[in-house]
Amino acid sequence: MSGFAWPSFNLLTQSILSGIFVGALYGLMGLGLGLSWGLLRLINLAHFAFAFLAAYLCYQLAHKGIDPLLSLALIVPLFFAIGAALHWVMARFALTPFSSLLLTFGLTGIIESLIQSIWTADFRKLESRYAEMKFKVGELFVPIPELITLVLAVGLAFAIWAVLRFTDAGRAMRAAAEDAPVAAAFGVNERALSLVLAGTCAALASVAGVCVALLFSLAPSQIYAWIGVVFAAVMLGGLGSAWGPLVAGLLLGISESVTMALTSPSWAPLVSFTLLILVLLLRPGKAGT
Amino acid sequence: MLEVRDLHVAYGAAPALWGVTLRVAEGELLCVVGPNGAGKTTLINAIAGILRARSGVISMAGNELQSLPPHRYCAAGIAVVPEGRRLFTKMTVLENLELGSYLPAAKARRSESLEQALALFPMLKEKLTSPAGELSGGQQQMVAIARALMARPRLLLLDEPSLGLSPLIVEDMFGAIRRINAEGMSVLLVEQNVAMAMHVSTRAYVLEEGRIVAEGAPDELLARPEIQRAYLGL
Amino acid sequence: MKVTPIAIVVVGALLATMPWLGLPPFYDSFLYLVLSWVVLATSWNILSGYAGYFSFGHGAFFGAGLYTTTTLAAKFNWPFLWTLPAAAGVAALLGLGLGAVVFRVKRVRGELFALLTLAVTFVLATIVLNTPIDGGPGVYLNSVPVPPIGPTQAGTFYLLALGAAVGTLLIAWTIVRSKFGAGLFAIHDDEDAAEVLGVPTYGYKLGALAISAGLAGVAGGIHALFISYVTASEVFSITVPLTVVLMSVLGGTRHWAGPAVGAAVITVLLYSFTAADYAVAGKAMMGAVLIATILFMPDGILLRVLRLFGYGRRPPPVARSQDVMGSAAHREAVPKEAPALTTEVPVVVDLAAADSVVVAAMPSPASAATRAAAPITSRGSSDVLLRAHGLSKSFKGVKALAGVDVEVRAGEILGLLGPNGSGKSTFINVVSGHFAASGGRVTFEGREIGDLSAHRIAQSGISRTYQIPRPFAHLSVLENVAIAAMFGGATLSARAATDEARRWLQFTGLEDKATARPDELNLHQRKFLELARALASRPRLVLLDEVLCGLTPSEIDGAVALIRRIRDQGATIVFVEHVMRAVMALTDRVVVFNHGQLLAEGVASDVMKRPDVMTAYLGRAHA
Repeated sequence: MSGFAWPSFNLLTQSILSGIFVGALYGLMGLGLGLSWGLLRLINLAHFAFAFLAAYLCYQLAHKGIDPLLSLALIVPLFFAIGAALHWVMARFALTPFSSLLLTFGLTGIIESLIQSIWTADFRKLESRYAEMKFKVGELFVPIPELITLVLAVGLAFAIWAVLRFTDAGRAMRAAAEDAPVAAAFGVNERALSLVLAGTCAALASVAGVCVALLFSLAPSQIYAWIGVVFAAVMLGGLGSAWGPLVAGLLLGISESVTMALTSPSWAPLVSFTLLILVLLLRPGKAGT
Repeated sequence: MLEVRDLHVAYGAAPALWGVTLRVAEGELLCVVGPNGAGKTTLINAIAGILRARSGVISMAGNELQSLPPHRYCAAGIAVVPEGRRLFTKMTVLENLELGSYLPAAKARRSESLEQALALFPMLKEKLTSPAGELSGGQQQMVAIARALMARPRLLLLDEPSLGLSPLIVEDMFGAIRRINAEGMSVLLVEQNVAMAMHVSTRAYVLEEGRIVAEGAPDELLARPEIQRAYLGL
Repeated sequence: MKVTPIAIVVVGALLATMPWLGLPPFYDSFLYLVLSWVVLATSWNILSGYAGYFSFGHGAFFGAGLYTTTTLAAKFNWPFLWTLPAAAGVAALLGLGLGAVVFRVKRVRGELFALLTLAVTFVLATIVLNTPIDGGPGVYLNSVPVPPIGPTQAGTFYLLALGAAVGTLLIAWTIVRSKFGAGLFAIHDDEDAAEVLGVPTYGYKLGALAISAGLAGVAGGIHALFISYVTASEVFSITVPLTVVLMSVLGGTRHWAGPAVGAAVITVLLYSFTAADYAVAGKAMMGAVLIATILFMPDGILLRVLRLFGYGRRPPPVARSQDVMGSAAHREAVPKEAPALTTEVPVVVDLAAADSVVVAAMPSPASAATRAAAPITSRGSSDVLLRAHGLSKSFKGVKALAGVDVEVRAGEILGLLGPNGSGKSTFINVVSGHFAASGGRVTFEGREIGDLSAHRIAQSGISRTYQIPRPFAHLSVLENVAIAAMFGGATLSARAATDEARRWLQFTGLEDKATARPDELNLHQRKFLELARALASRPRLVLLDEVLCGLTPSEIDGAVALIRRIRDQGATIVFVEHVMRAVMALTDRVVVFNHGQLLAEGVASDVMKRPDVMTAYLGRAHA
């Protein structure tokens, strides 16, 4: 166990910066999960599996020479369709949030097996031209892939926020989430809207997956490594919120990396999970439905 | 305008409405009164599309609605003010009103409708950006009525608007309802506050234990001993 | 002596001979795994299946036990067998600590509880990884001597796991048949209703969690030596918590043997995939099995199979959304009825403010067996049974009750009237302990009850019915009533409670529905079930909430007659009602609420003629 050591100022700021980057990814990952849980009342554990499936697809396409960012043009619509289709099936059975959690856990296992059978359990790294790019701001290094992730996370959170806040469809979704029968009484076709929303959540997962592919090595078992901290971000940030998971994710990312800089990397998970536990105990009304 | 024929509604095994038949003529303010548990809310919810009927016909200006999916009822010209208001509490008052005019036809006239609603309920002007859940009962009731008006319906359904409100506010509200009707809107009002309801309406039905047991002009109904018995046990 | 426990022990004894049969060593190890999962799944089910609190934290208890054994045996050189009780103890303590905190927070149920327990697992893993308990590289146990119980090492582990499995199954079976188990099953269906009936929900949940954790700890301790090299990441991975859920859900969470069946099936299936080199497909298969189970067999395999052979009952046809985890988590304060319509229109049950009728105390029934009949107090005696002083209750700034003073006299029938939203139900809910008061005091038979938890209030002799009946959906009509007899004021044993329950079913005319499920009853029968349940605890005060609402005229007549019979036995009844002819016919006195305050009080016929009361009900025109 390593001891406590005051890092240099540079190291600290670099840590905070990398915390921001990884936190943005937590937020991006959590965006679709939180929307699904808050607005559709479904806890979609397969969200993580979708992300990784997208990551692997991106990796595969990169082998064919397709730039990861360009591959988004193929991946996003594909996953939108998958998400909508899955929701269409699930909506036939009146599932509670908890049943959906168990069911999508089963689905995660299936997708994980699929990934493993195609790409094996070995770690795979996407080699992209972004990987080595970085620039310097003062003494700080800003790697390009991380920056792309941050931009995507902020941009998508903004877009979702704007749609929910300012468009009729967004209002309709929020209304239907709170009281579907009354929303229907004012003409809201909740069925159709939820399909669109579910597709969007899966598409968001796929974008997060592409970012994961840019930043990390991929292995099927890694699907589960994200569950805890992303759930923490979603619950801290508030279900159904667009900015919430991002802000919470940044908080988690920064506290994790600062903890890592101050002590050792292995203490990092303690931060997010303890925060999650505290939120659950002290503000369960906010975290739950 | 609205015709309900032989409507049967049940919750699972428990029947709530037995063969209810009524009609609302254009421009009429009709009220349905009855004791608790009589099925008044069930009736409103069935006409609004919130509940599915087991059998019977609901027709609006000649179009049959009972087999349509719930989100088509509004397009037929029906808007509801549900029991207990059922506002979207997490959304602002303005957003609630905007949701009321969700459908294209209503949306096209949204700003006009909003002006009219605020003219009717001026105190809502300062509350437009507050979350609906923070308003008092009376204010919420006004928002609920305004939300329904935003849909520019031909028939307005009101379910126990006086529920949980103090008498003074109830008076104001019924005044507003009367004004709405005076401008040509057909209204179907369901109420437990018999006196107030009878006071504003031109015709009334009495619903007891899922069945229509009486129909007629309000004064005449109020004088009847069975109404007195049902409500006061005298 | 019951057959089942003997059968379990006998089978266990027979299986214990296996290591000496000369089979290839593979069998010992494979069966060890099966038995270990039997222990884990069955122990998990004790809290999560019976009480409905699905936990994702079983890995934490397993890991705690495992590391306790590791630390004691490898670092402190304890003899291995002695570490096992320690492992159980540490795990149980962890469970107790966790439960003591978490169960106090009312809203943490359902998926929140599941996520919280998962988070605890990861926190524990991190702590273990970063402290000398493990420290990172893992811990070796090769130097720890394996006790020579079996002919081989593998045989020893097999026997240890067998012992643990037999013990766990016996414990599970005992719990299911006991009062403790009945309470857990009640908590599963409707925790708040169970609490109000007298089930000590907090204590029971804590007990179930402690037992569950302790048993998982034992399995962990044994496993430590079995694998002989432990790492935090392996031990605390997501595998254990999710697999036990899968096994129990597959086998059936309501039966003591369900998880064991699931464990056996899954372990065998997984093994056959691995052996056939389809290891990867094994995971997919598990996923598919889980999905199929949740969608199509939410009650699990075992009960399905038993039903095929004529045992057990078919499940209540509530909407699937309640099947896999029909726990109290999905009930808000006001329950929704399951949509029976097959169309896409969601059914909305409109719920007026649930007015509960406060029923005054119930004297013991005419056919009382174990208790002498309470002296029948004269009607309208001046003994005050219940007194509320300045009782207030606010919800987020809305004053539902604004300081009411009410007296309930022993032996009377008191009517609680008032328009919707006047505070009648809130009054009932506060007196029965469903809500805590914001201000004021309540005394019952001279004792303060305002700060007691609901189950203690029930045990003091107060019971209530709900306006919308809240029966325990998975229990039979008889079992529903028996819960009240077991946990309410009478606090009878399981057997005596069943007899008492039958008596009350007869009283309310439901005796031929004793084995039926509540969803098979119509509304009138369900209301009478509520009534029977309220009476079975031999309360001295019964609170009835709009018991007549929704009934047809003839049914109302029957109910009125029943209430009269209850009163004729000397019971004190307070009831909220809107059906005026019943109010006129039954009540000695009425109190009228309006806007959370007391408006009038007196004999019904007088009160109803008063102008202010007429205004409140009929509005201005009749003032």
